[in-house]
Amino acid sequence: MTLSIAATSWVTPLGNSIDDVWQCLVAGEIAPLERLANPQNGAQYLVHRVPPDATKHLPPHPRLRRASAISRFAAAAGLAALADTKTAPALDRIALVFAISNGGVIYTRRFYSDIVTSGAQSASPLLFPETVFNAPASHLAAILGIGGASYTLVGDGAVGIFALKLAEDLMALDEIDACLIVAAEEIDPLVCEAYRQWRFLRNPSRPEARHGMVMSEGAGAVLVNRANGTIEIQKIIPGQNFFRRSELAARLDCVVSRLKEGKAFCIGSANGTFIDRAERAAVSEMSLYSPKSALGDGIGASVLWQLIAAEQTLKTGRAPRPLQPKQDSQALVLACGLNQQTGGLSLRRSAAIKPSQGVRAQYCFSGSTDASDHKHDC
Amino acid sequence: MKPQEHVAKRVAVVAAGIVSPLGFGLADTLQSLRQARDCVTPVTTFPVDKTRCKTAAQIDDERLLNQGNRNRQDRRLHRASYMVMSALAEVLQQAPEHNPEIVVVGTTSGGMSFGENFYRSLGNGGACSAALIANYPPQKQIVDAMERFGFNVPAQVIANACASGTNAIGHAFNGIRAGRYQRILAGGYDALSELVFVGFDSLQAATPEKCRPFDSHRSGMVLGEGAALLALEELESARARGAEIIGEIIGYGISTDNHHLTQPNPDGNGPRRAMEQALRQAQIAPQQVGYINAHGTATILNDTAEAKAIIELFGDVPVSSTKSMMGHSLGAAGAIEAVFTLLALRNNFLPPNINFRESELPLDVVANAARDAQFDCAVSNSFGFGGTNATIVLRKFVR
Repeated sequence: MTLSIAATSWVTPLGNSIDDVWQCLVAGEIAPLERLANPQNGAQYLVHRVPPDATKHLPPHPRLRRASAISRFAAAAGLAALADTKTAPALDRIALVFAISNGGVIYTRRFYSDIVTSGAQSASPLLFPETVFNAPASHLAAILGIGGASYTLVGDGAVGIFALKLAEDLMALDEIDACLIVAAEEIDPLVCEAYRQWRFLRNPSRPEARHGMVMSEGAGAVLVNRANGTIEIQKIIPGQNFFRRSELAARLDCVVSRLKEGKAFCIGSANGTFIDRAERAAVSEMSLYSPKSALGDGIGASVLWQLIAAEQTLKTGRAPRPLQPKQDSQALVLACGLNQQTGGLSLRRSAAIKPSQGVRAQYCFSGSTDASDHKHDC
Repeated sequence: MKPQEHVAKRVAVVAAGIVSPLGFGLADTLQSLRQARDCVTPVTTFPVDKTRCKTAAQIDDERLLNQGNRNRQDRRLHRASYMVMSALAEVLQQAPEHNPEIVVVGTTSGGMSFGENFYRSLGNGGACSAALIANYPPQKQIVDAMERFGFNVPAQVIANACASGTNAIGHAFNGIRAGRYQRILAGGYDALSELVFVGFDSLQAATPEKCRPFDSHRSGMVLGEGAALLALEELESARARGAEIIGEIIGYGISTDNHHLTQPNPDGNGPRRAMEQALRQAQIAPQQVGYINAHGTATILNDTAEAKAIIELFGDVPVSSTKSMMGHSLGAAGAIEAVFTLLALRNNFLPPNINFRESELPLDVVANAARDAQFDCAVSNSFGFGGTNATIVLRKFVR
């Protein structure tokens, strides 16, 4: 069984257009840095925000009337991905898989703030449903009219890999023809403060520093189907957990060793934290680029941004420095979250398709059914 | 191109672990189900002086937190981690050689109360413990449990609101059925938290009175908590190594009802599609189902829509909502109720739907006391916010 990427879309701090954002990344542009203040304790954070007009084009829909930024980002990405596909799949044969880490934190903070400051009797019944992890997926399913399988997966920054794996599992069944994988995240001072107290954030008084993570927001969407693709991906590997940071390099090395076949480059998840060194060690001599250096860390959304960056590298033959991809290279996407999860996947341009044929990229996922794929003893 | 052709594998449950207000472990739980225990008590974990509802079904912390050998690191963990560890300990006791390739679990809120403490500590101007932040995320509790018991496999964490646990078991079932995996650990967990409690209270979906699923005077749900894990294995593999087989999962259905974020479509179409799909996959007729463990939250809207779907599809079949005894444990509910259903199949009884007096719904409710019954197949339903519906079909295993 092979699966192809039929369409992609993203909403990023550098914009919405796949081509435009990719050109910015290739040119070495970095999304504008903004400062966000926390009204609770006065702390400041450096963040990359999605431009305010990024979701203005969304059609009116009752589900979006009260929806938070995360649902609007997801809707924009999901709708654009379906619009990008040549042949739209039948809605009763499509599954939705949603990846998320912090989720609808803006409404969650507001709802709990009401409880703490005004008492439980003042908590708004309008806010609570939007705090539930699967609210953005529910809105998106309603907007698109998807009435079959819908899954929301939660995890850390590697959750996108787990969502892609779940999609691959679903595509092994007869019931569906296509799967829309969407990942989204929104920024709120509460989440920034958590990462600050965890000592992961970049010092706001040293914005030029390379050390420290810059929080980001947005969404990514990928539509996969079983059409004959032009580029194959051998595997999607959800990795083992790292119980201690000292184990991380070995976990990532294990993922790389199960993915890599010959010449390869890597779209990684380095974000200015302990991840950077472990990832560098795991990929060894491979050329490595992390879109987080330009877009920030979109946490739950990051893996799909990485996947789209890998796709664009293979499709266009151009890449941000220091990547120097050969057209017959394999692209690895390596994912590492801040809270114990790891994973990766690999993409490759099919040998049968020449780049000059210029068709829309159809990158294939080879859904392995080999039980040995699930062994974790390396 | 079609999906890879495969012969559908049979899926066995070779071990199960559970902790809920009804008890620690299968034996305790079985006894409580037979005795129709009402576990709903006044909430003690957080203040409820400003909420309409004051009760929930809670797990005894003294027993929960003092199991086994707690090391220094364990003491920082969330209650939900202890629940998962308790369920996992029971699974490993029954099937130490299970060695899952992946874990698929459902939850809605993970370590939510740690997030609440974090928010409150910020408001108080104090610094907070990094452990609160690190141990709050929803995937952390299952990872903690794996670390505690010395194994390490990827964990897929499904957050499909109140259907999460059934979705996790169903997705795991499909993975083995399709031949993609041999062994999966699946289940769900959720611990009571103030935010969620107040949330359901604010929606007036929770009741200050007794939880009376399917009763004419039902007035809403009562929250609960707990964890359950099931060790699933391809049946021939389990047989070959002589594993004890508790039961089989034979069908799974999932649908999305796009009617409303928090309300089911009154026509019952979403639940009905999930149940139909599960029966189709199980290759059984509705008449072969001898018991339905209903979602049965005791809200007006859920019970009406679910009853309509059940009546239309199954006609006359015994139905109970075990949430009447132990409340609604959200992301854990589907897994816990799957274990209840397996116990019912194995021990030839129907778990009761307590606090029941009369109903406007023409259902055969297993009212107030467990009922002896011989049956081979059962259905367990879970529906949730976001319009998510999930159904699994379970079968008694006969050698």
